[in-house]
Amino acid sequence: MSRSWKLWVGGPVLAFLVLIPFLELQGGYLQTLGFLTFLYITMSTAWNILGGYAGQTSFGHATFYGLGAYTTCILTLRGIPALLTIPVAGMIASLYGLLWGYPCLRLRGQYFAIATIGVGEATRLLMLNLDDLIKNNSLLKGFLQKGVLTGGATGLMLPTPPDIQAYATAFYYGVMGLMFFALFVSWRVKNGKFGLGLFAINMDMDAAETVGVNTTRYKILALMLSAFLVGISGSIYAQYVFYIDPQTVFGFPMSIAMVLMPIIGGIGTLIGPVLGAVFYIVVQDRILTANLNLGLIKLSLSSLHLLVYGGLLVLIILFEPKGLLGVHHRFNIWWNKRKRRSLAATEKA
Amino acid sequence: MIVSAILLAGLYATMSYGLALIYGVMKIVNLAHAGVMMWAAYVAFILIVHLGANPFLVPILIAPVFFVFGVLLQRYVVQRVMGAPPISSLLLLFGVWLIMQNISYLVFSGDTKAVTTKYTLMTFQISGISISINRLVVFIVGVLALVVLRQFLGHTYMGKAIRATAQDKEASKLAGINTERVMETAFGIGTALASLAGSLMALIFAFDPDFGRSHLLKGFCIVVLGGLESMIGVALGALVLALAEALSVLWLMPALQDFVSFALLVIVLIVMPGGMKELVDRLIRP
Repeated sequence: MSRSWKLWVGGPVLAFLVLIPFLELQGGYLQTLGFLTFLYITMSTAWNILGGYAGQTSFGHATFYGLGAYTTCILTLRGIPALLTIPVAGMIASLYGLLWGYPCLRLRGQYFAIATIGVGEATRLLMLNLDDLIKNNSLLKGFLQKGVLTGGATGLMLPTPPDIQAYATAFYYGVMGLMFFALFVSWRVKNGKFGLGLFAINMDMDAAETVGVNTTRYKILALMLSAFLVGISGSIYAQYVFYIDPQTVFGFPMSIAMVLMPIIGGIGTLIGPVLGAVFYIVVQDRILTANLNLGLIKLSLSSLHLLVYGGLLVLIILFEPKGLLGVHHRFNIWWNKRKRRSLAATEKA
Repeated sequence: MIVSAILLAGLYATMSYGLALIYGVMKIVNLAHAGVMMWAAYVAFILIVHLGANPFLVPILIAPVFFVFGVLLQRYVVQRVMGAPPISSLLLLFGVWLIMQNISYLVFSGDTKAVTTKYTLMTFQISGISISINRLVVFIVGVLALVVLRQFLGHTYMGKAIRATAQDKEASKLAGINTERVMETAFGIGTALASLAGSLMALIFAFDPDFGRSHLLKGFCIVVLGGLESMIGVALGALVLALAEALSVLWLMPALQDFVSFALLVIVLIVMPGGMKELVDRLIRP
């Protein structure tokens, strides 16, 4: 019953998603929205591997996103084919994850979260000022090209390809593939021995250590895997929009988004991050662009997004730690109870 | 420069002690601290620029209001997650911070604001060193607040109860201390200190709704440096950070000043989680 239901809904939705570029609804708007949704699902799923399964809340994931984006831009501007830079971006993000993850993951819970805020902010400031730093250093000067490596606060620009329509469509399918890859990775992790170890760490780190889980190694591997996926996302984002700057890709809001999406959807589950990301994009793109006109008060809803996310976060932590999935579960229980009650009533009659 | 670093340290200490107090009693990391500092800065801005209040009296007026705010926040929101894993309280207060930020964006817009008073540019000279009156008074108010707090913690029933709860919550409960009331008071005091620091900062720095974040990180850095229990530790931590920041200008660009404190935070967290106290202990008894 439930399986066929999933097939009936999931099949057409998938078909629709695949067909979107051909339908050209609303002048390609849906396609862009789809691209962003897939990208955010990938990141949300990636964050969830470390933050959900292993329970290590990271506020520093924008570092991977930004590093991925910058790796791609810097390499592409030096004549390396853009597609080749994607795995490189993932690997560099992953290595950076190892670099700060190795020391930081020895910290527990709250301390790790604080340290990641510090790492994120420090990285952003460093990238913002990297060019000036290198200019003053005779050894590193060779990395500059026409006096530019990261472009400072102005960022970097990529050349646009001639056929932008086909280019965008290719990326639409590419990022869709990436999303499925991320979901597959997440699913494998969740159902494998690795995931079991991560869940054990989440539950009780000392107990996990006692039963033979190499907690440090597991956590670092989870971070690196997560960083790899986010780095690739950043790389693809840079190639899609042709322009990046430190405030967008390294900014704290990016890290916040990656924390919020899985928590809204249902932390530590496979589908939760997907729900959360879809919700996040829909709220950001549809609801928050509207303008309320309440006679006297004209309210632009776009200025309310932090309020919506913050409020949701508070409500979720207070009342439903499992997020949207938890709400769905509760609804199911309520619905079944109601059905049973009405069945019992008809039997009596 | 060193003098101004020391003066800034007084302000940092005020800000950080609120964090340390809340962490000590409740073992939660208060990310909303940044929001409170930011709000206090805005309230100070309104009172001083629009209503013409004396800039140095404003912090004293604001603190009690935010004390009440802190007590209410603890009673109705934070109290609900006291039994849950610590990370959920962190996320909860993070949510509160986001809400506070958004309210400020709505009310004050995202423009950077600054408070300029007739004291802002006044300085006086002592043996060739020029000291800004503004910073000196900010320092004095901050330190005064800490001294008053120390007396309170040392010599009143509530103060002693707060310290007892910080040491051992269960034992305090057994001894007949109303720990919930204690936690509310501690959260209130912590919030009041944050507002005090925030309104004082408004006199020195420019601010916008995103203002508290870097200062919050500095606060964490200081708290970890100083160890979580002692006020003297926090004061020393504040001094170390302020000096490190000031001296970093000598060999780094000024734009990277904040980078130094964030990097210091991460390094300190990792290398000496016990703070300077542990370091000193290690040096004395190798």
